Amino acid sequence: MRSEDKTAVLLIRESPGRAPDPSRMRELFGLAQAAGYRVLAEISQRRSRDHLFQIGRGKIEEAISYHPHRLIFYNPLSPGQVYNIRSQFGVAVLDRFNLILEIFSSRASTREAKLQVELARLSYDAPQVRNALALKKRGEQPGFRGAGAYEESMYHDIRGRMAKIRAELAAREDKGENRRQRRREQGFDLVALAGYTNAGKSTLLNSLTGSAVKAQDQPFTTLSPTTRALEVLGRRVLLTDTVGFIDDLPHFLIKAFRSTLSEISEADLVLLVADISDPIELLRRKLIASHKALWDCDVTSPIVTVLNKSDRLDEREAAMKVEMVGDLAPCPVLASAATGQGLGTLEECLSQRLEPLPEHEIRLPYTSLGLSQLSRLYQSTDLVAVRYEEELIVRLRGRKEALARAGLYKALLE
Amino acid sequence: MDISGRHEAEGRYEMVCAAVSARISPSFLERIDSVRLIRRQAGSLDINLISDIIIEACTGLTGIIIAESGDLYNLEVWRVKSILGRDFKYPQTLAERTAVQLAHHISLAGHRLIRHGIDNGKESGKERVME
Repeated sequence: MRSEDKTAVLLIRESPGRAPDPSRMRELFGLAQAAGYRVLAEISQRRSRDHLFQIGRGKIEEAISYHPHRLIFYNPLSPGQVYNIRSQFGVAVLDRFNLILEIFSSRASTREAKLQVELARLSYDAPQVRNALALKKRGEQPGFRGAGAYEESMYHDIRGRMAKIRAELAAREDKGENRRQRRREQGFDLVALAGYTNAGKSTLLNSLTGSAVKAQDQPFTTLSPTTRALEVLGRRVLLTDTVGFIDDLPHFLIKAFRSTLSEISEADLVLLVADISDPIELLRRKLIASHKALWDCDVTSPIVTVLNKSDRLDEREAAMKVEMVGDLAPCPVLASAATGQGLGTLEECLSQRLEPLPEHEIRLPYTSLGLSQLSRLYQSTDLVAVRYEEELIVRLRGRKEALARAGLYKALLE
Repeated sequence: MDISGRHEAEGRYEMVCAAVSARISPSFLERIDSVRLIRRQAGSLDINLISDIIIEACTGLTGIIIAESGDLYNLEVWRVKSILGRDFKYPQTLAERTAVQLAHHISLAGHRLIRHGIDNGKESGKERVME
């Protein structure tokens, strides 16, 4: 099916006890478009959960009258609800989580991303398959109509495949850790760009580093981490763009993307990007979702909040919003990746918040070996002074990892 | 704050509530002012009992009460506020989650001490005698 052929009707059930939130439908619309669906209609209903169809039967009939290829629900659907809607109305259905997985699987370009998406899909499927098998066994009949060993093995196959993927991802995570270690040895500070999806992280990466990473005004453009180098007031920084966060995601999806998210948890500093042009309730909701995701990633490094797209607001409005998110983002940096406004302030803030490099004094022999070590230090550390005496006395600022790489850590300790 | 022991053991609920009074910024716990532990035994469990324990644990402590939604039966914030009669929120920032996690560790340790501590003490006493 070509993407222009894919049509969908969006449905959302809102709890009667809560105020209606139109931003959820907007988010679902954005996700559906990102997955290549043409949205025919948006239907919402305030009611308690219908155990058969999630939403009222009349609303599903209304949705079907548009003749869509799929019904896309914001609310999670149980296997029973999917079965009921398919069998009674003859239409394919998808919930928000599966829609996100569909986007991920269409955009996954690296081996790692493909494995992560497959793991997430299997983590979602495994309990459902077990549930379906249990239901089948409940009404088991002798002979060919029973659930045999073949069906029983299906669940075990899924578990086996998940174990294999986890092992491969763990190996890749180790590689990532080694890569980060090497980068620190080369004197780089690692900074990660994190934030809600479509906040402008890739555009900010492009603006700060002058690169041309793919950046679009749609959710989940970036799936695999992308790293670019940058020099911030004398500090050499590697800036990594990561996959965006989204609200109400199941925990296992975050676990499946652990190797990608480790770029955030292992960074020296996290730039939490949010879109200040969002309405204040939505901005707060996205910041809270981002904090929750950072908590799930075990982030312990300092966080600098960047309120992006500030060019879309006037100064007074921006100041008011900054005050209203003060409890979630103290002293945020207002910036616009598109116009370059506030990027200088952001760089200053980055250099202030990065841990200051410790100053060391080391002695090197005044030989060709000593001079080659000195030249290596020029590349990976910030040399303060070099005195050429009987020995080379070098005062420098740099990471211990960089000294260790130059084989000088012992000299330092002595 | 956090409550441990909200499961039935030998027909009773042996609960320990930990209230941590802390000053926080969005990313970090800046300072812990005090920690308070309240023990409560009950034959059954409901929101009134939970709210009583929370109010008792937080008496005299100023500021906003923060607890996991599961501790308050996932009630909406406005309902919890009206039941407690205090300002209340579920954890939102990293620091708020850290504070609740800290309270959880403290209440869990208190609960384990009450449930098993005496037995463990006897065992360690025996070991010392044997040595």
